[in-house]
Amino acid sequence: MKSSWLDTNTFHYSDFADLEELVALKERKGLSISLCLPTLNEEQTIGKEVLIMRSELMTRYPLLDEILVIDSDSTDRTREIAAAFGAKVHLASEILPRMESFRGKGENLWKALYIAQGDIIVYIDADIKNIHHRFAFGLLGPLLRTDTIKYAKAFYDRPIAAGKNKLRPTGGGRVTELVIRPMFSLFFPELTMILQPLSGEYAGYREILEKIPFPIGYGVETSMILDIRERWGMDVIAQVDLEKRVHRNQDTKALGKMSFVILKTFLNRVERMGVLDIRSPLHDEMIQYQLEGDRGFRPDPFLVRGLERPPMIQVPEYRSKFKVQDAQEAMV
Amino acid sequence: MPNYLDALPALVEGIEAILETVITNVVLIGQIPAPTFREKRRIQTVLDRMAELHVDEATTDGYRNPIGIIRGTDRSKPPIFVVAHLDTFSTNEEEVHYTVGKNSVTGPGITDNSLGVGVLISLPELFRRLGLRFSSDIVLAGVIQSLGRGNLRGIRHLLKTWSTPVRGAVVIEGIELGRLNYYCDSMIRSEIECRIPTDRNVDSRFRTNAVLVLNEVINQILQLRMPQRPNTRVVFGKVSAGVKHGDIALNGRLGLEIQSKEDRMVRSVHSDIRDIVEGIGHEWKADLQLRTVSNVHAARLPFAHPLVKAGSAILKRLGLKPVSSHSESELSIFLARGIPALTMGITRGTNYHLENASMEIRPMPTGIGQVIAAIMAIDAGVCDEVKLA
Repeated sequence: MKSSWLDTNTFHYSDFADLEELVALKERKGLSISLCLPTLNEEQTIGKEVLIMRSELMTRYPLLDEILVIDSDSTDRTREIAAAFGAKVHLASEILPRMESFRGKGENLWKALYIAQGDIIVYIDADIKNIHHRFAFGLLGPLLRTDTIKYAKAFYDRPIAAGKNKLRPTGGGRVTELVIRPMFSLFFPELTMILQPLSGEYAGYREILEKIPFPIGYGVETSMILDIRERWGMDVIAQVDLEKRVHRNQDTKALGKMSFVILKTFLNRVERMGVLDIRSPLHDEMIQYQLEGDRGFRPDPFLVRGLERPPMIQVPEYRSKFKVQDAQEAMV
Repeated sequence: MPNYLDALPALVEGIEAILETVITNVVLIGQIPAPTFREKRRIQTVLDRMAELHVDEATTDGYRNPIGIIRGTDRSKPPIFVVAHLDTFSTNEEEVHYTVGKNSVTGPGITDNSLGVGVLISLPELFRRLGLRFSSDIVLAGVIQSLGRGNLRGIRHLLKTWSTPVRGAVVIEGIELGRLNYYCDSMIRSEIECRIPTDRNVDSRFRTNAVLVLNEVINQILQLRMPQRPNTRVVFGKVSAGVKHGDIALNGRLGLEIQSKEDRMVRSVHSDIRDIVEGIGHEWKADLQLRTVSNVHAARLPFAHPLVKAGSAILKRLGLKPVSSHSESELSIFLARGIPALTMGITRGTNYHLENASMEIRPMPTGIGQVIAAIMAIDAGVCDEVKLA
């Protein structure tokens, strides 16, 4: 395992706190940058996220060129509040209307590629209570400063060392530590160096994001890492310590569903890569049980079709909008 | 018409255009907890933010009040102070999280005084974007240990150790837009603590009750004669006692303020209350202590002072009716030192000291505009002619 990757490709957001330098790099390279916030009923946090990002990274330092909210039919005031603070708000269901619409974070991220104008797309979850502009500039830093890095992923809570000779856990959540890290350790040990593979904040160049498929739901973070590593190797990936992140906690049942989706995505990937031969089809239902009365148990199945969107570059509307000419570009 | 009044419409319009930066500062500062005496993290955040916003100097004084200085064009002019107290009533030491709505920001401490501090640290950016330069240095101070037992220690220390004369000052409070404070009453803030001694020979059911003792204290204070001129009053603001509904309360605490237009009346009433406390403590066999938490002396600008006139004209020009009442905030320390000063509020709000305190966004440009216009008025010389006694 190349442990040097940890040393060379791991950063702290404060490494990139000189925003004037980042803006100069962006301008020198002739790049444009889009921030995308996928939403579903986030009225408690969306206003603050758009406000702070716009003030600090558009008005004061022109690092971002646009802030997009891709919404999954929120029933609260998410879209109204986001628009009031200057975000471009889109309903996911109205993007690429020729295609069947699905509901899920991955779906919104994928459709953002079609809507966004930027050469770099920054994805940030919309439920972060302690949002700060470091969440965006921290991820952009490695992409702008190092030509070989094409994808940057967040991690949190100063994981490795807490002081001299003191070690702490990596700060990953339960699903990371109980599901993803064991699976990575079994099949792709070098991916264990990505400390929080499920973190919802990452940024990448369009030139790679448009060439990978997107699961429509929770599996999108897992598939993104596996696909980018497989096609371009670990050296294009960086990870950035964004310190503390406060967000909604999910209960164990919800995490169980999330784990199911992630495992399914993972197993499909490893089979496709020829690493594992799965002899019978994987099932589509996660079955959990609920207590009913004193002694009864009621199954509570959760259907996951495991749908994936194809690489965006294969979508005719996208090829037309972004004038993708080279047939080779479409080869995935 | 003075320039600062002429400038108001353009000021408010200009502020409107960069309001998101001000709200961002309010949120980023406000989410850092700052209970009185435990403001350390917020001090650092204010300093960092001031440095990011390019003040000419960002530092702390000997008491750790964070200070930013914007250099003026005329070194012969004394500085103008703009202050907002840094501490909040909320005792929560964990990071808090504000909610930004279409026309509101909600969260503990927002109205008193995270909003004021947010506006304070936004001033360098506002001045730059509005193209404003001043002949005086502008000293931006987020003063610590202001509330309650803090007893305005931050501002007291800052002014006590400041080596040059001060031209004038504006005190920023988040709430309420339209306030124009230019005088403060004399005040002593006290706490009466009652403890019932534990005596093993007395059945707990028959012990003296701290609630009843404090009730007697209140009754006797209410019997004191308070003159209407100079207007004098006692405000009972806080009370707590006991542990359980069914148990005799063995301790209790009463918080009160004595307020008057004149120092001598406050001292006189305080002396009367001390007698009451000693008498009741003796007769009820309770350990009753009167402690002074904080105090300020009566001080005021005359209504005819040019700074008050300017403040009033600014508010009227903005379509606001000035509302004046006494204020025992940082204003009192400026006035006591003979420095002309005003307190102004930025916007309107609700639930001031609750966890769900909320402020309105829409009136903010007007509130910020009046503060900047008041600074312009001081810089134009409205405080230079009239010396306070």
